[in-house]
Amino acid sequence: MEFFSQTYVALRGPQGQPQTASETIGRLSDRLSPATLLADRRAAVLALKGLSRDHKQDVGDRALAGLLDVLASDAEIDSDIGKAVLETLIVLCEVDPANKELGFKYTDIVLATEKTVHTLFTLLGDNSFYTRFSTIEYLAILLQNRRQVVQSYFLKAPAGTRNVIAILEDKREIIRNEALTMVQTLVAQSPDIQKVLTFEGAFEKLFNIVTQEGGIEGGVVSQGALTCVDALLRFNTSNQSYFKETQLPPALCSLLLYPYTLPLHEPAPQEFALQFWDDQKAVNAGLVVGILGMLIGTKGSASQEASGYIRCLVEIGLASNAPVRLKTQSLRLLPANMNFPLSEIVVTPYMPVPETNGEEWDRLEPASALDALVELALHGEYNGLDSAKRLKNGLELRAAASTVFENFVHSDEIRHAIIQAMLPVEASAPAPPVTPLLHALASPLDTSSVDLAQISSTHFACLLFAHLLRSSPRAKLSARLIKPGPLHPQQSASAGQFFVPADGASPLAATQAEPDDDEPPQTLLQILSENLSLVLLARSRPDASDGENREWDRVVVGYLSLLSQWLWEDPKSVRDFLDSGGLGTLVEPVNQISESDVLIPSLCAFLLGICYEFNREPGEITRSTIHQIINRLGIDNLVAQISRLREDDRFRAIGPDSIVQASPLVAKPGLPAPKQPSQEEVEIWFDWAFVDFWKSNYYTVQRALPTDPNQLSTSAGQNPETAMLVASLREVIRKQAEEIESLQKRLKEQSTQPNEVPQLQKQVTELTAQVSDSAERQKDLEKEQEDLLVLLDEVSAKRKRDKARLKEAGLEVSEDEADDDEDDDE
Amino acid sequence: MSSITWHYVLKFIITGDAAVGKSSLLIRLTDQRFLTNPDPTLGVEFGSKLISIPDEDKIIKLQCWDTAGTESFRSITRSYYRGAAGCLLVYDVTNRKSFVNTKSWLADVREHADPHLTCILVGNKVDLCDETQDAPAKPRQVSTEEAASFAQQEGILFVEASAKSGVNVELAFVEAAQDILQKIKNGVFDDSRSPGVKLSNQPNPNSLTLEQTSSKNNTCCS
Repeated sequence: MEFFSQTYVALRGPQGQPQTASETIGRLSDRLSPATLLADRRAAVLALKGLSRDHKQDVGDRALAGLLDVLASDAEIDSDIGKAVLETLIVLCEVDPANKELGFKYTDIVLATEKTVHTLFTLLGDNSFYTRFSTIEYLAILLQNRRQVVQSYFLKAPAGTRNVIAILEDKREIIRNEALTMVQTLVAQSPDIQKVLTFEGAFEKLFNIVTQEGGIEGGVVSQGALTCVDALLRFNTSNQSYFKETQLPPALCSLLLYPYTLPLHEPAPQEFALQFWDDQKAVNAGLVVGILGMLIGTKGSASQEASGYIRCLVEIGLASNAPVRLKTQSLRLLPANMNFPLSEIVVTPYMPVPETNGEEWDRLEPASALDALVELALHGEYNGLDSAKRLKNGLELRAAASTVFENFVHSDEIRHAIIQAMLPVEASAPAPPVTPLLHALASPLDTSSVDLAQISSTHFACLLFAHLLRSSPRAKLSARLIKPGPLHPQQSASAGQFFVPADGASPLAATQAEPDDDEPPQTLLQILSENLSLVLLARSRPDASDGENREWDRVVVGYLSLLSQWLWEDPKSVRDFLDSGGLGTLVEPVNQISESDVLIPSLCAFLLGICYEFNREPGEITRSTIHQIINRLGIDNLVAQISRLREDDRFRAIGPDSIVQASPLVAKPGLPAPKQPSQEEVEIWFDWAFVDFWKSNYYTVQRALPTDPNQLSTSAGQNPETAMLVASLREVIRKQAEEIESLQKRLKEQSTQPNEVPQLQKQVTELTAQVSDSAERQKDLEKEQEDLLVLLDEVSAKRKRDKARLKEAGLEVSEDEADDDEDDDE
Repeated sequence: MSSITWHYVLKFIITGDAAVGKSSLLIRLTDQRFLTNPDPTLGVEFGSKLISIPDEDKIIKLQCWDTAGTESFRSITRSYYRGAAGCLLVYDVTNRKSFVNTKSWLADVREHADPHLTCILVGNKVDLCDETQDAPAKPRQVSTEEAASFAQQEGILFVEASAKSGVNVELAFVEAAQDILQKIKNGVFDDSRSPGVKLSNQPNPNSLTLEQTSSKNNTCCS
């Protein structure tokens, strides 16, 4: 009652006359001052709240400062006034589309000092539902309007982090969910806030929320929590290293029902591979997969943990019933420098049972992940169930699989091993069974009608095979020797060996007849050149429709791209290609460039240039032969043709991550309008690897065209032998370098006893000194002895004389002495 | 296969003036290497390490937050004090000012942190005082006795260390951890209440950590 009477008085005014809104607001604002009673202030706030919707500007201009004071002093004490003042502030600061200025203006006023933000973060700790709820809501609005300012204040707010963590733990779901939204903005692009929340245990709280909500099945709440986790980790290495130390990464895998500790040789459990999916779950799973990808990226793929995550992504991508987008995302997140043993992992793909609406699935034969990957790229999901339709998701998945393959065969060893598997064990042995890749590549197309599925798989086979050969002389050398065995229908069934035969054979069965006639099996290169000319023929048929021609063009582009990369820098392959009649095939399209596609003549001219440049092996068709043809076609014309490729959108639009493009069928005047493709239909022409290859080499080719046939190669073309020679020399150098290193090490060891030499020298000098010393002494002694001997001699002579004199004198002389003397004398 | 990789997780903060070697101490602890020219820390960096306390037969996981010493980050680093169980308060023995400032750092820590936090005063860069052939000794500006008596007066632990040579670095953490364990034993820390101490109660399925644990057992130098 009090409230109504107060408001009434305020509205009526003292005179009892109707007032304008602004007068009322002025009056109400005055009542906000701390001097009035709490109850009066509360009434005034409530009244202002009522007015704020319709008179936002008046309320804001006059009452904002007062409201902020009330917020600071009263909200904590009285939750009613707290709720009301927060709700009023929300109205004032909300940016409504009609008048954007006002909301920002008031936000700036509120954020002029840190005081209000600090009050708000303190209020988050208030346990009253409405205060807490409205505070979160208001903070969310402030963050939305001026995020960076609020973030900088937050870091200085005394209880900020603690209270933010507290609201994430709130038992009341509404508050917790609102908190998730707010925290997402709060941590955006602020590593400091991300770290401080991590320090306070935000990850654990967020994972608790996800678990409580039922993991990835937990709807938008799980989505919010996972988005927060993602935001805390992305671009924040410190938090990533913290996160990896916790037990949460394995928990991520288990959210996807994938057992993190699964040993390599054990298959993934079925409850992981086959799940019920809806859109929301796919979004949540996408977030988990994104976080896993981030952890792999920062770990480098060598570590043991990372290989667990990689396996998880591989399983999702190749052997699950996850939505296509999720599969594509998983494959794309696999690291580029992946040294993961794809060929050793056994996966169990599944196929939907027809007409069960995805509720029943057939388990297929286990296959190596590498085979499954190739199969996915060649035929699309579920063994080409929908590959005849060029749906965007499907093609993107296949393109992602192709990229994974490219990354996987990055090492020359792996390429070699894969190509070796296509060759007979010994020269005389029969060719090994045709691998699915080879089968898709070498099968001639049925040119009587357009089969989209087959065209796609041939095209993808070209892309994959090009990955194997590109800039690898060794791979090219082996690939020249490939002679695919007869492409029988039954072998086509074995090509799709782990798939239900009923599905695998149909698109290929019709086309098997002709290669059987050839007695000696043809090499792959011969087959490709033959297929190319067949398709070019089909394309030039007058009755073909525009759409059909576009399909033939696509296959031709696939063949030509592969051949360009194959023949580049490989004279022996060029020789093989020319010998199998490739030259004529190429000249034809270049010669008649009227209304046909830009791509084909351009690529033919490019390949012709490559054939000319690298035709360095002796043979029937010499460089001079080609030179004449080039001259007849016109060098300038060819150079221009090659350059035109750059102008084509299908070539220009290719980026490292985007090779799938929308397919706008070119409407040509005078021809019936092509059947309008559905929105989702897309197509693939080139992959980035070829675009990259073309861009780095087209100039060389253009320059090679006018050169004299007798001139030596302009580019440093290496045939496989020289390449191998270089490789072996390199090996020698490497060994020698190692030897030098070890010798140097030994030398160093030797020289690490440098003390010994001077010590020895010192000893030597000491000893020499000693020696010379004693030699001198010895000399002295000898001299002395000599002197003494002389003296003795003299003495004994004197004695003799004396004795003689004594005798003469008649004195007695002892005989002994005389004897002695005689002895001495002797 | 033992299922426990650690018994306790202890949160540590490393604080002190700028350029006294806080980050280097952490890198020395976690990576056993020395950074010759580290960049100044911005905000806070995280590092962690398992140590074992043989006396107690306990394995401890140290989660260390290395804070920035620069004044401009002070308000950010303060947010970390409250949640920590241990604090390394670092000064440079060749820089008197950094020692004098430890008093204000300590006051800061005491104001914001858990009252039971264990603090250890670490005099870093003692290697600089030893004469070597390529560099003359830098004069020591803080004597061991003075720092020790300051630490005693404040009731905190004390050790002199060198991140460059590695001497006493692990010891500093181990001593602080031991003190915290003692406090836990005496029931000072209530597990549910203190944010800086976490008791392991579930087996850890992460086998890689297991291997690390066993290899770390013999490296403790206390």
